[in-house]
Amino acid sequence: MTTSSRIEEIKRQRQKEIKFKKNQKKYFYIVALISLIILCYFISNNITYAFTWFIGIIIGITMQRSRFCFAASFRDPIMVGTTSLFRAVILGLMISTVGFGIYQYISLSNMEAYSVMDVPGQIYPVGIHTIIGAIIFGIGMVIAGGCATGTLIRIGEGYLMQVVVFIGFIIGATLGGKNFEFWDKLFISSSKTIYIPEYIGLIPTVLAQLIVLGILYYLAIWYDKQNNIMADL
Amino acid sequence: MAVYELDCMYEACPIPLLKALKKLNTMEIGDILIMKTDHNCSIVNVVEWVKKQGHYIDYLEVSEGEWEIYIEKAK
Repeated sequence: MTTSSRIEEIKRQRQKEIKFKKNQKKYFYIVALISLIILCYFISNNITYAFTWFIGIIIGITMQRSRFCFAASFRDPIMVGTTSLFRAVILGLMISTVGFGIYQYISLSNMEAYSVMDVPGQIYPVGIHTIIGAIIFGIGMVIAGGCATGTLIRIGEGYLMQVVVFIGFIIGATLGGKNFEFWDKLFISSSKTIYIPEYIGLIPTVLAQLIVLGILYYLAIWYDKQNNIMADL
Repeated sequence: MAVYELDCMYEACPIPLLKALKKLNTMEIGDILIMKTDHNCSIVNVVEWVKKQGHYIDYLEVSEGEWEIYIEKAK
């Protein structure tokens, strides 16, 4: 930490003034016990739920500890010129590219001929609705101060302002689910589903995607070293 | 060698960082800025940004979920 003697002095002073801290560990143990009981229940009933529950908890812990935030990862490069979270997203995409590549390779190698519908993963039609939705979501995300993950992490930490965002979330998701058929007829079903491995094969696609992501990663490092756009605000 | 306080309580990301950025621009070299925030991302993105700008910085958790960030303008 790059600190100075004067900051150290203020810090020491403040540390003396702070009386005590409530011990919150007992709440942690209670919650950990409850989630363990739920896990045991799922293991005996439905193994898929057990895996989902376990992976969900692991992801939650990882994101809370790392302060991983998709909103900041796309906002900070433009606003303040730091790309550390943006690079984290790229690394995450690289890892999932390899993971999904292996998974799809294994599940497709058992089939003689496959259609895009059979491929495991989130492969959906892409079109004008993708662009419009992304822009609306991006604006909302930056105003709300976090996307889905950031909002949920902060509610868990007790940052109550994000509960407002969460209410909006529930309303939006419910309306989206209810009216999905309408949007599906309007835009989605008429758009094309593009699955690049269909044209050039799975392994070249994975390699090409890794190369593109690698280039983006180095561009992000280069960009971080440049002067940032809004520093003279 | 003035000491300024900046109240960023209950402000969501990225408002604390923008407030700090504006305040720092009006300060003289050697002045100290004390930021109060309850947003956990601030202690990551403010610290990262200030370090990149070459100022001195440190922070302290003063209560559960409340932090004070100390910045000394270095240049």
